[in-house]
Amino acid sequence: MNAPAYNFAYLNEQTKRMIRRAILKAIAVPGYQVPFASREMPMPYGWGTGGVQVTAAVLTPEDTLKVIDQGADDTTNAVSIRKFFVKTAGVATTERTEEASVIQTRHRIPEAPLTEEQILVFQVPIPEPLRFLEPRETETRTMHALEEYGVMHVKLYEDIAQYGEIATTYAYPAKVADRYVFDPSPIPKFDNPKLDNCPALQLFGAGREKRIYAVPPYTKVKSLDFEDHPFEVQSWSEPCALCGSCHSFLDEIVMDDKGTRMFVCSDSDFCARQRGER
Amino acid sequence: MTERGFLDVAMQSAHAFRAIMQAVARPGRVLELGSDLEAPDPLLSSAAAVALTLCDFQTPIWLAPELRNENVIHYLRFHAGAPVTDEPGKAQFLFAMAGETWPAPALLMQGTHEYPDRSATLVIQVAGFAPGDVVLSGPGILSSEPFGVAGLNTSFWAAMVENHARFPIGIDVIFAAPGLVAALPRATEIRLLESV
Repeated sequence: MNAPAYNFAYLNEQTKRMIRRAILKAIAVPGYQVPFASREMPMPYGWGTGGVQVTAAVLTPEDTLKVIDQGADDTTNAVSIRKFFVKTAGVATTERTEEASVIQTRHRIPEAPLTEEQILVFQVPIPEPLRFLEPRETETRTMHALEEYGVMHVKLYEDIAQYGEIATTYAYPAKVADRYVFDPSPIPKFDNPKLDNCPALQLFGAGREKRIYAVPPYTKVKSLDFEDHPFEVQSWSEPCALCGSCHSFLDEIVMDDKGTRMFVCSDSDFCARQRGER
Repeated sequence: MTERGFLDVAMQSAHAFRAIMQAVARPGRVLELGSDLEAPDPLLSSAAAVALTLCDFQTPIWLAPELRNENVIHYLRFHAGAPVTDEPGKAQFLFAMAGETWPAPALLMQGTHEYPDRSATLVIQVAGFAPGDVVLSGPGILSSEPFGVAGLNTSFWAAMVENHARFPIGIDVIFAAPGLVAALPRATEIRLLESV
């Protein structure tokens, strides 16, 4: 290839400046959703256009990019986004968590602890945690302004009244730096404790909903709960069938049409490492 | 003649932005902002890099009287395409020099409680950094971060304490020293040390 067919990282410079300004304000007001002029991307909404735009705006040529979808490096969404940035930015890629400087993720936080040198970019479908409780944007915006989150506690209380426990298992609402209640994207609540006091910068991009928000490094992220019903993460009765790990997030896989099931790590890099393959 | 901006806009603004973003994400930490560009006096090349990385036709710029000369205005208009305004309250980015005049932070765009992002960013050119003025804590900081800026007095820090008290509205500050950048976003708690 003689002349590059795309600007570095696909987006034009004015778009990057607009996104970069939004990212800085998002970091300055942790957990607040900054509106931004989300662009059409060469992939459909729901495939991570928000995350892709954030990644494109923060990427430098020296970065090593890792892309995961539900924890796995080898799923369609992860492979296509990784190829997109190889083609448009020429960056190095990796499947190893600790080798990556930028990690774009859909619905998981890697099992391996992150470091200060890393940036985690989340793909977000619905950034507004209050949206299913209050459909009007004007109302939810006022609720955030007034720090009026009672309705969310009512929802969690109704879970307890109906099911005996808080039934929300993913996209579990949390409060950032004692101020904004935010949606950590549809990660399992198993991952919520990793958001708290994380050394890495965490950026969230919602392309269709046109919002960017952030959790700076070492920021308090408190999952909502009650004193008598404290926040708890999922646990499994059996270890990963492949690597034997007892402390990773497991996916249930149906093996045949007779109901045989298998529980395996959703983080493919972690699982391979545990098995000694890497 | 106009000084040249970034030679390779995409690469150099990506590098500059990474440094600026990490500075804002880790308040009080001084990071390198090496930039291969020329800047008209008395604009520092690091401050110019901030301007060319973040500013364009959508972001009115206000310049402190010490920075406001024909060369600087022409440079920002030519390279960034940014309008230069006389009214600090209408500017999204403000450039000032430590120890010189700038409008009180309370007079700048604060954002609203509904849209706290619609607020100004103040870029202050400084000679250098020397921990000793304040201790910072809050988001982005593990426990606490000693911080200090050459040429900034108690009244500045007092204004920034007030700025933090207005959170989530308020302004964010980027400090640009020769080859270096640091930041003080509004979420950062500031404790003044006695010696200031």
